[in-house]
Amino acid sequence: MDSVIKATVVYFTLWAIIRVSGRRTLGEMTAFDFVLFMIISGSTQRAITGQDYSLTNALLLVATFVALDIGLSIVELKSSLMRRILNAMPMILVENGSLMSDRMRRARITEDNVLASARRLNGLERIDQIKFAILEASGEITIVPAEQAGPAEPMEATSR
Amino acid sequence: MDELASRRYPVREDMRFQRRSWMVERAGWFVLIAIAVAGLSGIFGNGPASWGHATAGPLSVSYQRFERATRLSPFVFTMAPASGRELTLRLSAPFQRDFEFTSIQPPPLRSSTGPDGIELTFAARADATSQIVIWAHSRHYGLSSITATPNGGAPASFWVFVYP
Repeated sequence: MDSVIKATVVYFTLWAIIRVSGRRTLGEMTAFDFVLFMIISGSTQRAITGQDYSLTNALLLVATFVALDIGLSIVELKSSLMRRILNAMPMILVENGSLMSDRMRRARITEDNVLASARRLNGLERIDQIKFAILEASGEITIVPAEQAGPAEPMEATSR
Repeated sequence: MDELASRRYPVREDMRFQRRSWMVERAGWFVLIAIAVAGLSGIFGNGPASWGHATAGPLSVSYQRFERATRLSPFVFTMAPASGRELTLRLSAPFQRDFEFTSIQPPPLRSSTGPDGIELTFAARADATSQIVIWAHSRHYGLSSITATPNGGAPASFWVFVYP
């Protein structure tokens, strides 16, 4: 009985902590964030399993976690409010080449983050080449290039 | 450009909900910080708020007021010089029921159990205070009210709260 209760408490507590930490943490995961997540999983794993390393306990925990996940996905499907609460909403960060700095500050996204996504995904170099930059619910930044934005200009060859 | 107005293209936004989310997020940060500060203070065990001390006559007990299940911690019983060559410490039934003793230092000469708990008898020196350390961990969540009684003395009562 206590395995199921522990798994449920840990599932919702972790969900709340990750949700409160904001999307930035999940979408733009750095090497240190990855290490942090490993530590979180290690700490909670010991608390959930305790000293019960039996197969029954492991199966019970896995079944509880997957059942909770399926349950929440069904709740998401049925209610748009729950979908927003559970998964956040996409939000525009750059509109027609203009940074929406208030939104970015609140979402803890910098111009560098947007430019990094623009370079990585579309080979763009400047904010004015971006029509829309969107912070997706997953935490990723997607870029819609401005129509006039052509391929990035080749760098000038420098003589040594 | 009104940044807080909701756009409908290229994605459908709800900035009212988004602003509320940010507020909840900020509140959550304060909760996380409060948990960390409370942890430092010892409310979750092993800190100044947790250090407990109970005294009754010749007996004094140092213990952790807040404990966590399965975590090992010491209960230190200090007793004034005994009149005989032996001293007895009686620990109430909840202590025996809720805690698993890992070690008792020094080892008791005898131990017996009854409806009112466990009685431990130790060798003692008449000219010196005796210190008995019981290392124990709880397997029981919640509040435990414990009474420790030395031979012929008044009982020292204290409580320990065990977190899951």
